[in-house]
Amino acid sequence: MNGLHEQFVAEARDLIHQATDDLIAVERESASVDRIDRIFRAFHTLKGSAGVVELPAMVLMLHAGEDVMAAIHSGTLAVTSEIIDQALACLDQVSRWVDSFEAEGTIPLEAGTRGQIAAQTLRELLPKSTAAETAIRERFVEADTEALPGWVARLVQEQRETISPPIETRPESLLAVSYEPRPGCFFDGDDPLALMRAIPDLLAFQVAARDAWPPLGGLDPYACNLRFEAISAGGRSELERIFRLVPDQVRIIPVPFETVAPEQTVGSDGEALDLVRNLIEEQRRVLTASDQREDMAGRAGGVARAAANALRHIRRDPLATPIEQALKTAISRADVSPLHGALDAALAALASATFAADAPDGDAAQAVEPATDAAGPTASRVLRVGEDRIEALLNLAGELIVAKNNFAHLARRIEKEMGEQDFARAVRRENDAIERLAGEMYAAILQLRLVPVAQAFRAFPRLVRDIAHRLGKKVALVTHGETTEADKTVVDRLFEPLLHLLRNALDHGIEGPETRHAAGKPGEATVTLRASRLGDRFVVEVSDDGCGIDPDVVRRRAAGGQFLAADELAALSDAQALNLIFAPGFSTAAKVSDISGRGVGMDVVRTMVEQLGGQVSVNSGVGTGTTVRLELPMNIALTRIMAVEIGGQVFGIPLDAVTETVRLSPDRIGQIKGNEGVVLRDRIVPICRLAEMMNVPTAPASEATHRLLVVIEAGGKVVAIEVDAIRDRFEAVLKPMQGLLSNARGYAGTTLLADGTILLVLDIKELLP
Amino acid sequence: VSVHRREDGTIVLAGPCMAEDAEPLLQLLQATPETSLDWVQCTFLHTAVLQVILAARTQPLGPCGDAWVARWVPDAPG
Repeated sequence: MNGLHEQFVAEARDLIHQATDDLIAVERESASVDRIDRIFRAFHTLKGSAGVVELPAMVLMLHAGEDVMAAIHSGTLAVTSEIIDQALACLDQVSRWVDSFEAEGTIPLEAGTRGQIAAQTLRELLPKSTAAETAIRERFVEADTEALPGWVARLVQEQRETISPPIETRPESLLAVSYEPRPGCFFDGDDPLALMRAIPDLLAFQVAARDAWPPLGGLDPYACNLRFEAISAGGRSELERIFRLVPDQVRIIPVPFETVAPEQTVGSDGEALDLVRNLIEEQRRVLTASDQREDMAGRAGGVARAAANALRHIRRDPLATPIEQALKTAISRADVSPLHGALDAALAALASATFAADAPDGDAAQAVEPATDAAGPTASRVLRVGEDRIEALLNLAGELIVAKNNFAHLARRIEKEMGEQDFARAVRRENDAIERLAGEMYAAILQLRLVPVAQAFRAFPRLVRDIAHRLGKKVALVTHGETTEADKTVVDRLFEPLLHLLRNALDHGIEGPETRHAAGKPGEATVTLRASRLGDRFVVEVSDDGCGIDPDVVRRRAAGGQFLAADELAALSDAQALNLIFAPGFSTAAKVSDISGRGVGMDVVRTMVEQLGGQVSVNSGVGTGTTVRLELPMNIALTRIMAVEIGGQVFGIPLDAVTETVRLSPDRIGQIKGNEGVVLRDRIVPICRLAEMMNVPTAPASEATHRLLVVIEAGGKVVAIEVDAIRDRFEAVLKPMQGLLSNARGYAGTTLLADGTILLVLDIKELLP
Repeated sequence: VSVHRREDGTIVLAGPCMAEDAEPLLQLLQATPETSLDWVQCTFLHTAVLQVILAARTQPLGPCGDAWVARWVPDAPG
């Protein structure tokens, strides 16, 4: 996939999600003009991008969807449940095609037929006359301003990164030039490149073969096989003058200014604001840092200049001027406090502006900053970076921290072995500085991995709608705190437990409409998803206003299983009893005869949440509803682990320490100074029996069988550990040892396996002799 | 000459490289397609010469001495 395709996939997914959400909102609440307009534009944009990546089937179907939305928009068609269903089905199809386009670079062969049928179905929803009118209007629009020719769209897409249009002059439109010189042009003494060089205000340029290059042996150097493309901000008459001798070989097409640079002109403001704010805060610290009088004027001058320039750069001139005035006052009084005040005032003004820029509609931001009133989209400019790249960065930062640790060791050696105390102190000081920076860098990279929990939430309106339909219940899903951020892994893995919980709430928690009426509740039930921050944890709650869980029923159910003795059960508070629903195996007992409220899979939810290093609890009132609360870490660091088996027990080894695993016949193993050892890659590697180290009883290895070794490198030593079997490898969050085990040496921590058992993960460094 | 081969085998473009330099450049490239091409000394690049470089899919040792080409022709041709 090239960059253009990747961008298409990412954009298409966003648009599909957004349109799906809007369609559901239309059905649930109202068909406001805004919403219909947004849906129309989503279909329209999707159609355009599908055209650019040449997926005609998708274009055909989306075009029909767009017509339907246009008819609703113009008032000739009323929204019905069927229309919403068809529109959602259309988006589902697009979504599947986008998936297959991403995976295979193409969409299935039968897409053409399927697209035609879908388009037909959608168009049948249109009133007859509208269908005809829309078709005519569309043709007119297409011919007029719409669809840029494919080559222009491609050029704009491919060069978007490098094009920097003259924002100051902001011409109405730019001009795209395509020039295909005649093959024989060189014989006439032409130099086509010379014409391209003459283009004024060149913004983008591309040269490529018109027909694929022949092998070098068959190339005719004097037959021109090139196509030049360019975008210029210069005037049309100038271009026409340059190409006046070759009008038949050149095409000049106007490109609306917004097509080329909508993002650059608008959204980057929020980020720039943050940068400037950090810069001014830094300047403020500089100002506070030392109070030596002699260099006060110079220091204050530098601080004020840096702050004012930064403010001017983001066009906050009114904020810059007071800072410069404050500088004069400060110098005349030999006192930095006026400057302090001015910086604080600027910071406060910026803080409110940032807040406004964060507001979803962006209106407030434009009120503060008139220069950003461009007609482009108000979405903030976002850099899409592959997860793997951030992962690589994170690993590097981790290695940097490890490498940094050697400095402390070095400082000790310098002091001990060389007796250089001053030098050692200097090294230590540098070590501290690097330590701080490496720590900050690590934290900053973790920040990059933060994503809004909305990413996990956004599929749910659709799912809740579908499940509710199937169950014949009326349910409204309300979400709060979608902007709460957490590590991408946490957010990604949150989807499944939340889906379980929502299903349970809809299936078992919420009563049928009649029961609800009888209980005096509104016919439409409410399920709430709420995310919030709690210190360094974040909390997601799933609440319903259904029938709740009766703790006595849970007690009775638990008494049937083998969870607790009868007297222990009786001693449990209601709240403790409720949490029994998370006990492993409880669900199986519950499945046989549904308890009032929750049923299947609560222990699955608990396991998934605990694997993320989180906790789950439940709160419920009979007749008023149930709330399940997930408390999760915002950041998680995953450790890669290899599980090994020794004497019937399973232990984890951090995979970072493992260099290889080998299976050897016993004759390869020799005795070295009374210990067993093996020669691997020209190195003598001692063999440790993990069973002996861990005091695990094991049968003496029979001489005939092969022996399984895990070679590990830790703390500068290479050792082979003998194990009985190697199980799977996986990533997990390590929890520190707790309770009685917290002082046990040799363990890095524990982690929960998928089957609910606890895996002890070894700390190899501590175990090695 | 605008096109010649250095002792180390590298093909060198120097000074203004005009249409008539395309043919000798192509012959050198055909003889040793894997060799590197140095265009730092080139002060002007004619379309025909650029076409040979693009067709050979070679990655010249840059930057090109022709400033306009250095600015606008992408590093990785083909």
